[in-house]
Amino acid sequence: MDAILQVNNLTKHYPSFTLDHVTFDLPKGAIMGLIGENGAGKSTTINAILNLIHKDEGSVTFWGEELSSSKQLKEDIGVVFDGINFYETLTPAKVAKISAAAYKQWDESLFQDYIKRFELPTDKEIKTLSKGMKMKLSIAVALSHHPKLLILDEATSGLDPVMRDEILDVFMDFVQDEEHSIIMSSHISTDLEKIADYITFIHQGKVLFCKSKDELRYNYGIIRCGAALFEAIDKEDILTYRKDDYQWNVLVADKEKARRKYKNAVVDNATIDDILLLYVKGEQAK
Amino acid sequence: MKSLILKDLYNMGHNAKSMLFMLVVFAVCLMPSTGVEGFIVGSGVLCSMMVVTTFAFDDHCKWARYALVMPISRKDIVVAKFIVLVIFCAIGSLLGLVFGSVCGLLLKKITLSLMQISELLLVALASWMIAIIFGSMSIPLVLKYGSERGRMLLIVSVLIPAGIGFGIYKLLSVLGVAMTDQLIVTILCCSPIIAFLWSYVMYRIGYHIFAKQEL
Repeated sequence: MDAILQVNNLTKHYPSFTLDHVTFDLPKGAIMGLIGENGAGKSTTINAILNLIHKDEGSVTFWGEELSSSKQLKEDIGVVFDGINFYETLTPAKVAKISAAAYKQWDESLFQDYIKRFELPTDKEIKTLSKGMKMKLSIAVALSHHPKLLILDEATSGLDPVMRDEILDVFMDFVQDEEHSIIMSSHISTDLEKIADYITFIHQGKVLFCKSKDELRYNYGIIRCGAALFEAIDKEDILTYRKDDYQWNVLVADKEKARRKYKNAVVDNATIDDILLLYVKGEQAK
Repeated sequence: MKSLILKDLYNMGHNAKSMLFMLVVFAVCLMPSTGVEGFIVGSGVLCSMMVVTTFAFDDHCKWARYALVMPISRKDIVVAKFIVLVIFCAIGSLLGLVFGSVCGLLLKKITLSLMQISELLLVALASWMIAIIFGSMSIPLVLKYGSERGRMLLIVSVLIPAGIGFGIYKLLSVLGVAMTDQLIVTILCCSPIIAFLWSYVMYRIGYHIFAKQEL
């Protein structure tokens, strides 16, 4: 795998939380979704990747280089956080001037193209823009210096479905170039189901899995059954389970095998939300 | 670096009208008691405080963490704040010189003589340097305690250099060195060096604080 970003044993200790040896690789041309409950460590992972917090252990390399070693690397990375980071009295035109002074690779005509595409005013103060417009402006800035990697931390949260769809299309366009990649943390699993190639699930500071979305979508399943059948299920097949009022929900990694093996059971497809819920709320098989 | 300076100038440019209004109020309040010289120094010091306001704007939009994902280092961020401080102090002293001179002429506190003009220019230079010295200390204070608490601690950034200056004055008195006009002019001429050294020490402290910060 030709990786743009390699995160290896990334560890950060806080008094009440530890980001624990987080490891994953982001291949070229791919979109990776970071999922996990609130406080799981998604933003801490992104902050540590971007050197905004000091890591205690581990390494992060972009195209094989550490971020601290070269300013040029930052030219190739576009970042969007969950809100706009320019003061509210600035206008998009001034934001462009500030960004142009920061990035050698800044492309003013590309920025103007995005401004037109997103229907953003250039001379209105940021405080007069809607949340969606602010987010579009952040994305326009992130894309206008020709980055090869986009890092998005909850960039689509708080947007309505129409605007999210529009923005997801922009991300899809971005990865049409096979040298480009995106890593995005999001609570909105439908967004990730739509665009992600890989899903990395972080729970309580640890990576529970990093798998291709297709593997999750086509292989993972949920056995819905009663107590008798649950007892009969081979514990080796159970990833995690949860008991509702009258039903057991059992997450399995191979739904076709489960369908063949447990003929009386209902085996449903598992969505990313189902997987997340069962891992967070469920119990591991003993 | 240029982008950081541009950002602060744009942000503060939005407040330019209220700043000019404050200077007018300041002129009305100060001019009768302190004269033109006091007003020029006051304007410089007042404008040096704007650097703390830039930190408040930055905190409001979490600018520092965003700046660090741009091709900008932590060192650049601290250096840029000092450059912005120098610019604000220069603007304050210049505005003080212009407003002060106009009001001084209207109130007949000054005359348009060569001697008077050169004296006011020297005061404006001294004001610029004094403002830089006072403002420099506010940067590490704000980096350490944040813009809200830093604003409250602003008085410290005035009191400590003023205290050091007073201490040196007392020491010179004890040593029997009289404060002659010639010595004052010498100190004024040396003030850019003093301001540069003081700012450099404050920059080192500020950078040391900011380098350890998690954003």
